[in-house]
This record gives sequence, C-alpha cells and structure tokens, in this order.
Amino acid sequence: MGVTILTQFNTENRSGPQNIEILSKRILALGATQQGQFLVDCETYTSVPQLGHQRTVHVLHNSEQPATVFSLLETGAKTIPLATDGLFDLLMMKMSHFYTSKKQTKSESKGPRYEIGDFCVKLGTVTVSSNFKGVLVEVEYRPCVVPAMCWDLLKEFLQGFLGLSGPTTPPTYLQNRMQENYSPIDTIHQYLEHFTMFRKSPGIGMRP
Amino acid sequence: MSAPGNAMDSLSAALKCNIIPNQEYLLQGSVLDQYVEVLLHRLRGLCDNVDSGPESFHDHELCFSLRIANTGATTPMSVFSLRVRRALDVSDTPYQLRYIGQQELGDKNRPTVVRSSIDMACSSTIVDFLTELGCRVDFEYIARGYMFRKGRMKITVSKIFKMGGNKPGETVEPISQSYLVELSVLAPSGQDAIAEDMRIFAEQLRPLVQLEKIDYKRLGNIM
Repeated sequence: MGVTILTQFNTENRSGPQNIEILSKRILALGATQQGQFLVDCETYTSVPQLGHQRTVHVLHNSEQPATVFSLLETGAKTIPLATDGLFDLLMMKMSHFYTSKKQTKSESKGPRYEIGDFCVKLGTVTVSSNFKGVLVEVEYRPCVVPAMCWDLLKEFLQGFLGLSGPTTPPTYLQNRMQENYSPIDTIHQYLEHFTMFRKSPGIGMRP
Repeated sequence: MSAPGNAMDSLSAALKCNIIPNQEYLLQGSVLDQYVEVLLHRLRGLCDNVDSGPESFHDHELCFSLRIANTGATTPMSVFSLRVRRALDVSDTPYQLRYIGQQELGDKNRPTVVRSSIDMACSSTIVDFLTELGCRVDFEYIARGYMFRKGRMKITVSKIFKMGGNKPGETVEPISQSYLVELSVLAPSGQDAIAEDMRIFAEQLRPLVQLEKIDYKRLGNIM
C-alpha cells in the first residue's frame, strides 16, 4: 500500500481502446509486466424527500481491496468516509425505502493492471451507465505512504509515459493532505472526484 | 487472468447460492447474579473452548434507527434499525455494524426465534456516518461478560449497564441484578436443523437458565 495518483488521459480524437493500446505499448516498452485486470465501480444513492435535506451516498468497490466496500456520504456540509465488509451492499438494498439508487450514474473504470518495479499502473476505460466517457490512469508508488515525499517522483514517472498530458500539480483532493499518511480511502476519493466530473461532462459518444 | 467481477454481481450470485449467513437463530434467558458462577462453570464443561477459558468482552452498543414519519393514514411509519458495537477493552478492533430485521416467532414446533441479520465490520467513522445519514440514537448500553462456543453455536453471558455520564466508562450502573444469557447461530436461510441443536443444548442448561423464544411485543405490553 503506497501513494496513488489518478489522472485523466487526454483522449484527443482516439477511441477508448486506441488510447489504452497506446498507453499499454508505452508502459510495456518501459519494462512493465501485465498483472491481471482491475475494476473500480461506483453507485450513487440519494435520500428520499421525507428524510429532510438531501444527502448522497456513493458506494464504491475497488478490485485492489476486494473484501471492502467504501462509502462516501455527502451531506452538503461535509463528506464522511466509511469502510466496511462486503455485506454493506446488502444493507443498501435493505435501505431502499430511504435511499434510492440513481442507475443512470453507475460509473466504472476498468482495464489492464501493470507492475513495473515499485510502481503499479492501471489503465482504466471509464463508462457512466455503459457510455464511454474517457480514460483514467492510476499510478501507485508502493514503498511510500506520505504523498509529499514521493509526489515529484510520481510526477516524473507519469510524465515519462503520458508526455505532456501528465499532471503538473497533485490532484485537488490530495493538495491539503500531502503530509498525511495515505490510505485506500484516499484513492476512492480521487475516483469519485473524476467520476463526478465524467458524469457532468456531455459524453464523448457511444464508442466503447 | 480473468477480469475481476462486478461486486454487485458476485453478491447476487452469493445470494442465489444462499451462502450468506443472514439469518440469526436466537434463544434468550437470564440468570440471577448469585448463580452466574454456577452457570459459567457448567458452560465451561459443555463448550468447546475449554483450554483457553471463556473469552471475555466489554462492549459499548449504540442502537440507531432511521425513520420516515407516516405521510398519510394508509402508509405506516417505516423504521430501520441498526446497531453499532465497539470493544472497550481492546483497542484497534474494527467497529461492528449490524442490521436486525423483524423477528419471527413461528409456531410451537419451531424451537427458536429467527430474524434476519446482516453483520459486518466497519471503520470508526460509522457513528458519524449513521448520524449524518439521518439515523438517531434510540438507546445505548454497555455489555460486559463472557462468550462461549459450541460448534456453530455462540453463547454469551453478559451484564448490561446503563450509560453513566457523558463519557463511556465513567460510572456505570447495572440495569438489573441478573445476567442476560443468549444462545445464537448465524446461518444462511433455510438451515432449520441448527434450531433443533440449539433446543437440545438449551435443555442442558435447565433449570439454571430457561432459554426461550422471547416475544418483544409481549414484553412491551407488560411495561
């Protein structure tokens, strides 16, 4: 478990699979080996009007932590994270009288997972309710847990294979937490930030 | 390597195969303080964890409920109860979140109460999470006692304390002069055979403790 940076890869005029292929070639050329696939998904539930002011619960799963369900509750004033066992999904089903799922916002990022030395790289194709939205690149530097200590290294590594579309500043979510210990819920926060942006974006079309 | 499956798909598959332990078979009873030692002695003889001795626990439990007031005469009020438990004697253990559904008493032939139950470990943010979710605390208490195991059965003997002051662990006052005794099994639905084992085990504790199907509705009328 290390520090993870999530960044969007500019899709230009290429389709999702073309982008993934280009990035795969580059990362393989650097000496990475593919280690399976990954999947991060997010489902959003909103409170029914009878419960008072609206609250939103985002429920996320990450194949890197397969026995855990992550939830982020947004009240408007603050966001409360929660990590639970897998049965939390069952609980959300039981709560359907109080919190209803917004099916059209179901988002996921999935694709190949690579390992290269101390780094783990994931190339995700993002879909929102099955519509292709873009490409998310996740890079984890595993020997370190303090973002401030390895941000420069991660930035250099990212620019090394993303070129100019690599990030120049840390993700917004991490900016106030650079000195804190990084944990898996921080990766979840970053995914949610991107999924929210993708949900708002008009969409690139139906190309898978 | 195959792609990881969608979590919801694996959950529905698990539900379909009926491998999720979401039913609790339960018998309850009580024993007066002066006889609890005798009961513990008997349980030590009957249960599995003889060598290590009984496991002790000291937990704080908060009972939350999520309610929607009835909007009309025809729609009844919906209530959803959740319990959060945390250990006071061991630090660094996860909190426990639990949903308990309506209990089914069944007829005379059914030896135990059956209620649906979803039990999971969670992070300590759960109290904040539930409060902001719209839940309110109905009541809270501290339970201190021993846990025994006999196969799949779990037996707890616990003293229930009222919360004293604002901080847990300050001065706590016992709720009664007796211990609560519970015999329970968490199993996937349909495994009714376990209820029979529980009945037989409960027989062995008589007449020290009468483990019975407790009807909470009836208790409500007494009080």
